[in-house]
Amino acid sequence: MSQTENKTAAMDLDAVRQKLASATGPRFWRSLEEVADTPEFQDTLKHEFPAGVDVFTESVGRRKFLSLMGASLALAGVTGCTRQPRELIMPYAAEPPEMIPGVPRHFATAMPFSGVGEPVLVESHENRPTKIEGNPEHPMSQGASGVFAQASILNMYDPDRLPTPKQRGRDSGWLAFRTEMRRQMAIARSKRGAGVRILTPTVGSPTLAAKLQQFTTELPEAKWVQWEPVNRDNLRAGAIAAFGRDLSVRYDLRRRRSCWRSIRTSSARTAPVRLP
Amino acid sequence: MAQFFPKSANMIAMLSLILVVGVVGGGLGIVIGTSRTPDNTDQGIYKNQPVPFSHKHHVKGLGIDCRHCHFSVEESSFAGIPASKTCMSCHSQIWNEAPMLEPVRESYRDDKSIEWIRVHDLPDYVYFNHSIHVAKGIGCATCHGQVDEMPLMKKAQTLQMQWCMDCHWHPEMNLRPREEITNLNWQPPTDPEERVALAKQLAEEYNVQSKVNCSVCHR
Repeated sequence: MSQTENKTAAMDLDAVRQKLASATGPRFWRSLEEVADTPEFQDTLKHEFPAGVDVFTESVGRRKFLSLMGASLALAGVTGCTRQPRELIMPYAAEPPEMIPGVPRHFATAMPFSGVGEPVLVESHENRPTKIEGNPEHPMSQGASGVFAQASILNMYDPDRLPTPKQRGRDSGWLAFRTEMRRQMAIARSKRGAGVRILTPTVGSPTLAAKLQQFTTELPEAKWVQWEPVNRDNLRAGAIAAFGRDLSVRYDLRRRRSCWRSIRTSSARTAPVRLP
Repeated sequence: MAQFFPKSANMIAMLSLILVVGVVGGGLGIVIGTSRTPDNTDQGIYKNQPVPFSHKHHVKGLGIDCRHCHFSVEESSFAGIPASKTCMSCHSQIWNEAPMLEPVRESYRDDKSIEWIRVHDLPDYVYFNHSIHVAKGIGCATCHGQVDEMPLMKKAQTLQMQWCMDCHWHPEMNLRPREEITNLNWQPPTDPEERVALAKQLAEEYNVQSKVNCSVCHR
């Protein structure tokens, strides 16, 4: 204790003696000042050990946090004591052929991507696709697949994917779509398709392309626009500039040697026809 | 400052320690005890189903093999619950007017599932595969009991982990020849020596191992 504090906590020894004489029962003290218990001493105590100095003042302190965590862990265990909820088994009304419930089926199919059908094998559990891999029996990929094929499974379960047709921002349903479509098309036909626009991604399917072409021939005023946010327009422009024709790139690795660096471009990795 | 704790505090401290141990221990005892009763496990309790399907009638009375309806038991994790179409293959001809079977006809007509109440329900954190158990010589009756004596379906066993482990530690004595898998009345040889000999022989023939690693079931 410093000298100044000694002064402020000055005590009256007589008062101490008096107090001790009148005291009954066992009593403990750590200093004579404590026995005297003067207002000055109380004041010093207050400055020396301010109330709450040892308490963490943030809203959730360490102790509180630990006790909360402990309680929640203990309570998490309690959920194990509940009864099992009632569960239903809902078998098919008529089983699809070749279906064994619990055993995944694999479908060889093509994933339209940037105008090219990528050969993929889709794992399906009770008709719900869960995993996409390259088709090992297809000469183009021989079982390999790229990042886009792998990630495309997420498109399927994307919560932002439209579940129903929309009209002016509102869900309308397929029946309303067909009715409205017929009405609009009747009007468009009378005007040779004026005002009709079809927006698609790059169409690689010959059948769909032929159908769309037929549509635009029948309605010459209608327009079919293909657009993709990430496309191969630059590659195409490059090919036209270099060869004067619209060509696409095919990598021939048999004659590699020093060209390995140059083909490690992003297009070689991510374009639909690419190095797997 | 007066002495904080009176002498009696010693006794109170001791008593409260004993009390805490008693309450915690007793509480655990009650929880463990009640978790094993049929009230909690549903063991032996019949459940009402949308159609009161009787295994007793179809299995014991008519002699239909388990796999006629539970067709995927040998190749899938799931034994398979028959489609309404399977029921209708017979019941479009017999009892085709029975009001009891109306939910089946309705399901087949409207292409909607019958909502059966699950009787054997393992927790979702348990991976269980029927096909491997059947392939290794565990009979239907070992887990599902005398199904041919059940007018409605009930759980014959608790399906609790302890029960699983009893067999997983020493599977040999629960094995039977593969031909007898669906035979609900198969009995092991009565002679203890013969029984052990058969168990050993089957375990070797089917390459049965004790699988007790956590990740076997909790994947």
